Amino acid sequence: MPLNEMDTIDRAAILAGTGLMLFGTVVLGLIEMLAGEPYSPAALTNEAGEVIATPLIDPNIRTGLVVLGILILALWSVYKLLAVDIETGETQTAEQAAD
Amino acid sequence: MGTKQMRTNAVDSKMALKFNTSLGAYWIALLRIITGWWLLHAGLGKLLTDGLSYSYGPIFMKGLEGTSVGPLAVWMGENLAFLIEPGVPVLQTLIGLGLIFGVLTRLAAVGGVFFMTFFWIGGDFTHGIVTGELLGLFLFTALIVFAAGRHYGLAPYIESTEFVKNNPRLRYLLG
Repeated sequence: MPLNEMDTIDRAAILAGTGLMLFGTVVLGLIEMLAGEPYSPAALTNEAGEVIATPLIDPNIRTGLVVLGILILALWSVYKLLAVDIETGETQTAEQAAD
Repeated sequence: MGTKQMRTNAVDSKMALKFNTSLGAYWIALLRIITGWWLLHAGLGKLLTDGLSYSYGPIFMKGLEGTSVGPLAVWMGENLAFLIEPGVPVLQTLIGLGLIFGVLTRLAAVGGVFFMTFFWIGGDFTHGIVTGELLGLFLFTALIVFAAGRHYGLAPYIESTEFVKNNPRLRYLLG
């Protein structure tokens, strides 16, 4: 089903879930790159093992955003499983268009 | 060979490509089987090496302290070790078999997402946050979205049984 034909709950869940994933990986990754070394979410060390550069954004924030996105999509899947009328494919709580 | 138009740009409908559905279905089945072997190999390897006592499982979970899933993972490592030790190899094996044969594919792929989430967060981000484990996680989600078990898998045969017809919601887990 095209995204623009889905109901509000479906669209909100998909856009929020995937948006958080993209924000955590791509957007914050780009900011991390622009901020300079270490250019990645892991601290940079020298040969002596001393930390010489730490990431601007805590990797836990980035992984947390992605995990939150996964959780939203998982909850939406459970909602679809419970709320969708199997025979018609329509969400039972959605109002039907009178056309 | 079946083809249909797949719009790639919602604004400009002229930007469309011919999507070959037969090749697409074949390729989804290929991804499903390769991903299945990935997990089956991991599960069987653990079973052959450690049997049902995969003691590294709880240790790995406790090692996730300080990460975004730390509280849950550490709690699981400390309190569910009796389930994790046999569960990891057995579930990985079952997920692999499910994906290869296209049985309970979506349920198996949900299990794969669960595993990959912990493996990804427990991994090394030296070369960036997009690692093989994260790509594996998205591969499992792709198998869910495309109902991969219905392409050259056993799902269509199982879904045609009276039991599934009488319990149609099962199709969401089988596909």
